[in-house]
Amino acid sequence: MIRMIHEQHGGNMDVLAEIKSILAGLLDLEDREMTPETYLVQELGAESIDLLELAVTINSRLKINVRDDEIFLTRFRLYLTEAKEQGKDTIPYVAGKYPFLTEDRIAEIIKHIHAGPQLKIKDLISYVTYQLRRA
Amino acid sequence: MNTTFSGSHALILGGTCEIALTLAEYMIQTSLFPILTYRDEKGLLSITRTLQPFKGKYASYYLNFGDRESLESLFSATYDHLDFLVDFAQGHYESYVASADEESVYRYFMENISFRAEVLKRAGRAMLKKRKGRLIFISSSAAERPNPGQGFYAAAKQASEALYRAMALEMGERGVTAVILRLGYIDAGRGRVYLNGQGRDIVEKLPIKRAITREEVAETILFLLSDGAAAINATEILMDGGLTSGK
Repeated sequence: MIRMIHEQHGGNMDVLAEIKSILAGLLDLEDREMTPETYLVQELGAESIDLLELAVTINSRLKINVRDDEIFLTRFRLYLTEAKEQGKDTIPYVAGKYPFLTEDRIAEIIKHIHAGPQLKIKDLISYVTYQLRRA
Repeated sequence: MNTTFSGSHALILGGTCEIALTLAEYMIQTSLFPILTYRDEKGLLSITRTLQPFKGKYASYYLNFGDRESLESLFSATYDHLDFLVDFAQGHYESYVASADEESVYRYFMENISFRAEVLKRAGRAMLKKRKGRLIFISSSAAERPNPGQGFYAAAKQASEALYRAMALEMGERGVTAVILRLGYIDAGRGRVYLNGQGRDIVEKLPIKRAITREEVAETILFLLSDGAAAINATEILMDGGLTSGK
């Protein structure tokens, strides 16, 4: 279970609630049920421009530095290819690129990658929590 | 006609050239708030002297293309209230391609293309946050029809135009639009120096038989920033007095 409450500036921030609130506003999904397992693209229908706006809003509301390529796992497939070409173990290689993801999560993404974009709300939570800890 | 604007704060990159300063005056008279960038003390002095009657109705910030710290500082101050951007900034590098200094070429493209992409990224994100914004890139008729020696200038202009067009295509649905204004012979700045060096012959080639004034350019930019021009998006407008339409 992902720890979703993060202490920041002496207060508690429910990262899942914040991200759900942002997504509901951006994608006009007020009544839609969202969990950490919800896919952004496959289930919520997020498009590239939505992801860009999501990054801007997370940066603005949660006061963290957001790198779009990282939070949205944009280069995931490229890193798989790189690992293969360089003869390296795939999961540790990708984990080095995405230090906010667990190796279990990386394995899960690889397992289902053929089914389309794998980005889930829990990946955003992992990224935000990681950045908040570093801040 | 009642000209209206969706916003008030206009960032003017390369804010020390004559046209930019004229535009800033027009903006202030139209109740817009220009934010002009300068890259040296001389530029700051030009702004301060020209806009002296309008103290408190404009702002100025240091920005040197290639200097990322100056960019960070500029956007820290302006990020939350950026409605418009007018981009006059352009380095000058004239050389035949086959005789160009390699280091100068790398630096020129880094400053005038890569750095501009970073400026656009920041401006675009600031505008996307408000779902509103208008960008105008001041280009040149030389982007399409350069004279010998203007190859690098033309390449940088065309690449920058492509960045603005792409941004307009990508973000138009979220209220952020862009247009490119290509200028011909202008009686201001480097244009005036060139025209003075060429004599009357060059002006005689223009169907309007005169150089374009900086006031005309400023008025055109103001119109392009207005609500009435919002549908002019992701395209180039040529303002050259008809020079390049004929033989």
